[in-house]
Amino acid sequence: MSSHTDHILVVDDDRDIRQMVGDYLRRNGLRVSLAADGREMKATLDTSDVDLVVLDVMMPGEDGLSLCRNLRAGKHRAVPVVLLTARDDETDRIIGLEMGADDYVTKPFSSRELLARINAVIRRARMLPPNLQVSEASRWIRFGDWRLDTTARHLLDPQGTAYPLSGAEFRLLRVFIDHPQRVLSRDQLLNLTQGRDADVFDRSIDLLVSRLRQRLGDGAREQSYIKTVRSEGYVFSQPVVLEGGDA
Amino acid sequence: MTVMQSPRWLPGTLRARLILILGVGLLLAHGLSFALLFGERMDATRSMMLRNLYEDVPVSVALLEHLPADERAAWVPRLERRTYRYLLRPAAAGAPLSTERSRQVTGLIDDALDQRYPLRPRTVSSMPERYEVELTLADGQPLTIEITPAPMPVATWLPWVLAAQVLVLLLCVGVAVRLATRPLARLALAAECLDPAGNNVPLPEEGPWEVAQAAQALNALQARVAAHVSERTQILSAISHDLQTPITRMRLRVEAMEASPSQDKLLGDIDQVSQLVREGLDYARSASVTLGPAIHVDLTAFLESIAGDYQDAGRPVQLLQGTLASRDTHPQVLRRVLQNLIDNALAHAGSAETQLRIDGEGRACIDVLDRGPGIPADQLEAALKPFHRLEPSRGRATGGTGLGLAIAQQLTQALGGSLRLSPREGGGLQATVILPEGASRTIQP
Repeated sequence: MSSHTDHILVVDDDRDIRQMVGDYLRRNGLRVSLAADGREMKATLDTSDVDLVVLDVMMPGEDGLSLCRNLRAGKHRAVPVVLLTARDDETDRIIGLEMGADDYVTKPFSSRELLARINAVIRRARMLPPNLQVSEASRWIRFGDWRLDTTARHLLDPQGTAYPLSGAEFRLLRVFIDHPQRVLSRDQLLNLTQGRDADVFDRSIDLLVSRLRQRLGDGAREQSYIKTVRSEGYVFSQPVVLEGGDA
Repeated sequence: MTVMQSPRWLPGTLRARLILILGVGLLLAHGLSFALLFGERMDATRSMMLRNLYEDVPVSVALLEHLPADERAAWVPRLERRTYRYLLRPAAAGAPLSTERSRQVTGLIDDALDQRYPLRPRTVSSMPERYEVELTLADGQPLTIEITPAPMPVATWLPWVLAAQVLVLLLCVGVAVRLATRPLARLALAAECLDPAGNNVPLPEEGPWEVAQAAQALNALQARVAAHVSERTQILSAISHDLQTPITRMRLRVEAMEASPSQDKLLGDIDQVSQLVREGLDYARSASVTLGPAIHVDLTAFLESIAGDYQDAGRPVQLLQGTLASRDTHPQVLRRVLQNLIDNALAHAGSAETQLRIDGEGRACIDVLDRGPGIPADQLEAALKPFHRLEPSRGRATGGTGLGLAIAQQLTQALGGSLRLSPREGGGLQATVILPEGASRTIQP
């Protein structure tokens, strides 16, 4: 990192947890503010520049999910959010991502895991801001013959049959969809698609791209979705349309 | 379920038994009273005929006696009755009287004629019975009384009325039996479909008193089961929530300590505790999992995505060449099932394979295969029970909580399918998720 130190706001009602998390993040070179509830969170956001919010879901009073939704609706909508969920539950994850969280960690989490997630989200947000306004409310994204369900993480063909994607395929497709008609280098793609299991992710981007092409029905010659740009990278060549949440 | 042994000749269903008892009983009673009535009527007509005969024969004989011989032939037809007539000829050849009734009739005729004429009775035919009684008039002409006993003819509508009666009878039996057995069938169905999660449509508490009572009892039972299950889930989930915060604190604290062997051990213990808390909660939830609407899923792509996730995480999971199929299902829940089975295989064998195939009945089956130590045949079923551990080969050493397979089993049931464990050919374990018959569309490879 250069002269800029990332500023993380940790919001948790449990004093010990937020202090220990804060200490760990500080020891790892981040600037940290702490908040015990939504009110303190808003006060901090209004008075200083925050690069990322770590938000506990289970809090008395206004819980993390509704705080996250309000954050997305207000003037701090660009601030990335990592949720601390109390449950290892699909619904929490899905609701959290629908509410606009960028990622989540499940309690009990390790501080190393949280730090890795924070860094990945900040890197993603900084490296390549999406040039497509994918709002949190749009659950379905349409391109070509396909519709992508962004919460269930599968592709739907015109007949409505679902083709589930692996985590890496989904992340890669999201990166392409978030940046249509834009040439993305292999390095950019690798950085943007590194997700939860970054340390063990050793598949080459080319292999992942060919897997995704196969899934989308792109042939070796006829590439109607992901085109290869010689010595530069790849470009997603289809126009992308967002669909409302309850289509 | 044990069924009480009943005699072999008895039909199996209550409906058939009731129909048998009521139908046979009512028909028997009906037939008996009809036979009695019929006999009574026969008796009445006979005695009426005998009385007629007794009064009629002396008058007719006296009339013929007084008529000039040449006028008798003209009068004979007028004297004819339903069961006997007069003939101006000797009796036909025949056997002596053979039946009690013919002798009785002959005696009656003899009495009616004050035994003034010697009678020569003959049986001319026995089926139908016909006999002739010959006497000689004063002027020497033979006179024969031909008797053909016959019951009063039955009205032509009688068989129809009889048939109609039997029909009404059987109809009533049918309605009554249906009334009695249908609520039973409904109760059985409701008990069978009882959803412990409490998503039950209560049985209508109506109908005859006993039926309403039984429905009420079943509804109360449903409510109790649902309350019990939701209480269990709530307790487990409360414990789990309340434990997660202190476990998180413990973890963060231990992580902040100086690196040491005891730190590693503590972290290992915390991992184990948190896994148990998580899976205990999963297990409690799996009994009452709520399913959204099913979606049509390409199962091959589905299995590819799961294998891909494991491969990306550096775990050796392979999708073997299999059939192509798609089914209506709940992919999130099915994914959890397969993850549990694959995790189990990875824990015991280090690697796993998955395969999609269609069984003989057209159901989609997903196999999760490993080459681990396997499970002894006599413990395959027990292995699906919660907290079941197979010592020592599949014991705590592998770090399992003993809940993974039980969760998979519960979730498979929630999907309407079934989970089966079997030894894999050539060693290892084969876990098969059999999906319910559902809408499937053929897909082109």
